[in-house]
Amino acid sequence: MIETCCCGIQVGQPVPDFKLETFEPTKGDFGEISLEALKKNKKWTILFFYPAAFTFV
Amino acid sequence: MGAEVITVSTDTKFVQLAWKQDEKMLKDVKYSMGSDPTGKVARMFGVYDESAGLALRGTFIINPQGQLLNAEVNFYNMGRNIDELLRKFKANLHLSKHTVEACPAKWKEEGDKTLKPSPKMVGKVFEAYEGK
Repeated sequence: MIETCCCGIQVGQPVPDFKLETFEPTKGDFGEISLEALKKNKKWTILFFYPAAFTFV
Repeated sequence: MGAEVITVSTDTKFVQLAWKQDEKMLKDVKYSMGSDPTGKVARMFGVYDESAGLALRGTFIINPQGQLLNAEVNFYNMGRNIDELLRKFKANLHLSKHTVEACPAKWKEEGDKTLKPSPKMVGKVFEAYEGK
């Protein structure tokens, strides 16, 4: 699924499911997040990519 | 604000924990910090820089149905304007509830004037927008 999609998603298109391991500052613990779960909870998602920790936004 | 904000970098979750604990500017951060060490998700969104192994500064808004509604990508050396991100998010929320409307460039928040595209408006956007 993700493997076949390498070059970006056009605006208006469905986003294939993805999973990320996370650090959750509110819990001070690690977690996991998936688009599938966010959709199930009827959540809007904002993905904010940045090059590396210890840099600006 | 009604959306799940997830920051994503190719750092491991351990680095993100360290950064969060170390950087005073992040003391009020509450969003999830996603880790994408293989660049899989960054590649999927077209923001993975293969030569550097890093993600470009890309911002993506996805609705609850999983549809991509906004994409913005900046090079490494330019920061993003959070007010503009909020504006886009609020506009998306509004448009999801008012599907026949359109938010013009100057739309900032709920209550601001929207447009209703129709044959009548062709060539008359200025008049529609100015209410003349």
